[in-house]
Amino acid sequence: MKAASASADHDAERLLWVAAIVLAASLPHLLGMPVWVPAFLIGTMALRIASALRGWRAPGRPLRLLLAFAAFCGVLARYRTINGIEAGSALLVVMMGLKFLESRNHRDQLVLIMLSYFLMFASLLSERSPLTIVYCLVLVWLTTVSLLHLGRVGRKGDGRATAKLASRLLLQSTPIMVLLFLLFPRLPEPLWAIQSDASGATSGLSEQMSPGDIASLKLSDAIAFRVEFDGRVPNERELYWRGPVMNAFNGRTWRMAPAARRAPQATIEYLGEQFDYRVMLEPSGHNWAFALDLPKSWSGPRHLRMNGDYQLGLSFAGPPLPRYDYRATSYTRYLAREPLADTQQRMLTRLPAGSSPRTRALVATWLADDPSPRQIVARAMDYLRSQPFYYTLTPRTLRDEPVDEFLFDTREGFCEHYASAFAVMMRAAGLPARVVTGYQGGERNRLSNYYIVRQSDAHAWTEVWIEDEGWTRVDPVTAISPGRVTQDAWRTSFGDQAAAGAGVSVRVPWLSNARLLLDAGYFYWNSWVMGYGPEVQSALLDRLGLHDTLGGHASTLLLLVVAVTIAASIALSLYLAWRYRRKPGIDAAARQFAAFARRLARQRVLPPSPSEGPIAYAARARRLLPRAAAEIDAIVALYLRARYEPDADRSILAQLRARVAAFSPARA
Amino acid sequence: MPVAAVQRLERWAAGWARRRQGADPLAVILKRRRIYILPTAFGASFGAMVLAMLLASLNYGANLGFALTFLLAGLGLVAMHHCHNNLLGTRLRFIGAAPVFAEQVAEFRIAVENTSATLRCEIELAHEQIVSEPVDVPAGGAETVRVAVPTRRRGWARLDRFAVQARYPARLFRAWTWVHMDARCLVYPRPAPPGRPLPQSSGSGAAGRQSRGDSDFSGLRSAVPGDPPQRIAWKAYARSEVLLLKEFAGGDSEPCMLDWDSLSELDAEARLSQLARWCLEAAAESRPFGLRLPGRTIALGTGEPHLSACLEALALHPTAQ
Repeated sequence: MKAASASADHDAERLLWVAAIVLAASLPHLLGMPVWVPAFLIGTMALRIASALRGWRAPGRPLRLLLAFAAFCGVLARYRTINGIEAGSALLVVMMGLKFLESRNHRDQLVLIMLSYFLMFASLLSERSPLTIVYCLVLVWLTTVSLLHLGRVGRKGDGRATAKLASRLLLQSTPIMVLLFLLFPRLPEPLWAIQSDASGATSGLSEQMSPGDIASLKLSDAIAFRVEFDGRVPNERELYWRGPVMNAFNGRTWRMAPAARRAPQATIEYLGEQFDYRVMLEPSGHNWAFALDLPKSWSGPRHLRMNGDYQLGLSFAGPPLPRYDYRATSYTRYLAREPLADTQQRMLTRLPAGSSPRTRALVATWLADDPSPRQIVARAMDYLRSQPFYYTLTPRTLRDEPVDEFLFDTREGFCEHYASAFAVMMRAAGLPARVVTGYQGGERNRLSNYYIVRQSDAHAWTEVWIEDEGWTRVDPVTAISPGRVTQDAWRTSFGDQAAAGAGVSVRVPWLSNARLLLDAGYFYWNSWVMGYGPEVQSALLDRLGLHDTLGGHASTLLLLVVAVTIAASIALSLYLAWRYRRKPGIDAAARQFAAFARRLARQRVLPPSPSEGPIAYAARARRLLPRAAAEIDAIVALYLRARYEPDADRSILAQLRARVAAFSPARA
Repeated sequence: MPVAAVQRLERWAAGWARRRQGADPLAVILKRRRIYILPTAFGASFGAMVLAMLLASLNYGANLGFALTFLLAGLGLVAMHHCHNNLLGTRLRFIGAAPVFAEQVAEFRIAVENTSATLRCEIELAHEQIVSEPVDVPAGGAETVRVAVPTRRRGWARLDRFAVQARYPARLFRAWTWVHMDARCLVYPRPAPPGRPLPQSSGSGAAGRQSRGDSDFSGLRSAVPGDPPQRIAWKAYARSEVLLLKEFAGGDSEPCMLDWDSLSELDAEARLSQLARWCLEAAAESRPFGLRLPGRTIALGTGEPHLSACLEALALHPTAQ
């Protein structure tokens, strides 16, 4: 009876341990799941543990089947699918609860521990915060300890030894992990369609732009992307990162018109210096890519294309990729002399009928003076410069005629107001014009050579199509304050509001340095671990000089993976053989005894034969050397204690060593 | 896969290993070349999980997923090597096997000695479907493991083959080797059921036997099937869970000769069984007894060694024809 209850306690203890691991592994999932999922998991676990403690009968098969069916339907009802990370994780969590409920033996518990790895894995698929990574690292270790503990056959080892073994196994597998990570071929696109889970974090840029709506511009310090230039870096005034292009205007809102055409790149003439760089994009919830105005070539995900508005983006119609990196080459000077078809001409000069009458009237006076496009642009910039326009993040709202009200009444706004109004003025003059959104500038990380482009660097400017010159960039904001586009002026102009909003002052130099240092760490983590993909892998192979050895990269990599795995395997086996082959430490005593026997052999006492134990040998030696008998007995007694007593300590070995060293049968 | 097919496969593999390895001496150190390793069912499911993780990582292009996948793949690889190494340098020595009666289970005692510098974990010895309790052997240490082999008939029971195996660490892999030692255990004939009285050599037995049970207690010996239950030392059994029989120094010790030819109505094996029963009964009564077999005679005697010698003669009696 006593034994039975002790074993029940033991059983419950093991179950508690498994429950803790499973709960810890599902924690990152549980936070985003409907409440009933964690409740289900905890409920099933509690039921099982209680039945182990109280000796209740385990729930029968019909009840378990019913629970399984209900859980399955629950997941299906909530997610409408069982595919994808979130639904799959929810299903996994409830199924693990059921498995826990029916777990009977070590094997079931081992399977649960193993599935905990999979839960962790699922949370790593979508999660990228450093905290989760640290959490998972600790959890992987704990899970491995549990796996080793529960996986022991027979008598349980002590916890500390198991923990040490887990650390050793994980440390030994780390080099294999690193090599496989670097060498395993990556796919440029998914094997099967990825279910879109969350709506994604929407950023400062969106698919439409309504300058009258203040709330739409939310400045944040969140990072949009990072850029690493290969060689020379362009002037900061020229850092225009081109993004979505707005073509259609309804009097209030600019929208992206569908631009399905391929870019008429052949008509673009690139001038001056070329800049090579790599962009590491933060997840934005969009499939846009940003490039320095204007990119000539790029490489990255296979679907990265340039559309008719010179915007880079992933062309597949699907949910956004969580993160992708690409390389590009850009020229900051170019002539985009694209011939415009009539339909395009009409679309790009279209204004809603009867809108912005005052603007139209103003532009008409300019046209009357000089209808040349250059002159119109200059007059418009002059107008912004000469009138009291202000740059502010909190402009008054605009009502029925936003453009007229902005240009003639309020005269305050941010880049979108200016870009929109400028484009309207151009269209009123019959010039094709559009609004380009993107980012301007960026913060150079002084501690490392790359640029951080934040959401607060979001910008909008205008492009005007001029006969013979093609698309020409005009940034009307530069008319407001000449220094505004340089980095510091830009920051200052935003400074107060941004800092007040974010609650972080960046004026303290060491704090700013620490922040940059942190960001540099994050940058390298992102570019080498999170952003490690086919591109970086190819670059690595090229650097190793393995580019052309075999057909494609993938086959070279696969071969390398196989070779490296075999090599690692051999190395590991040699290492283990070396570790395990060393002579046991217990032989210290035996070595002393051998030295003792050598000394006796000089006095014609034959060394002990293999079948002769130390006591028989001592008796023989005593007979031959009666004068040394006491010393021989003492040494043999010490040897026996040092060698065979389980709790013999080092002092006995030391005594033995001293006695053997002092032993000289000749003198005795 | 059907169990029978697995067993057939295993038997074939064992036969192949026997041809490859040859016979082993009574003490053998396990070398790298003869240690085989395969994933267990649990290890295979672990591998399947890692494969699923790899596919998912490829699909989502998730580098952290790749990292965990490859860490676990590395863990599996490392575990495989630890499992293989765990048996290396283990020395197996046949210590002996106490004789048993036919149809009892012979226990071959094998010393598992660790000649390496590190702890060896969870070593099991398996024969057919019977797996011993796992033992951990510290560096330089030794543990005795009993391999149980059911016996059928008298003579020598051979432990022709047994497996040394370990599923350490975490039961992901099973490393094993087969050992083919010439380890033998003597099997006495199964004693016939009691009933047939001991032969009286000189007719004066009845009076003398009266005083037999009350004589002085002289010691204990291990009990065998068919011993009278009233003479089992139950108190000793409660202490040590070993069945012992109380022996008494009989005041009367009338010698008897146990003769093969006196049992002419039985066949050869039955005669041997009956003789074994008589030997046990005579020894239990501390009567001097002798044995007369065709071609061999053992003179009168008493005591444990004498009993063993007689039973051994019965066990190794050549079969008829």
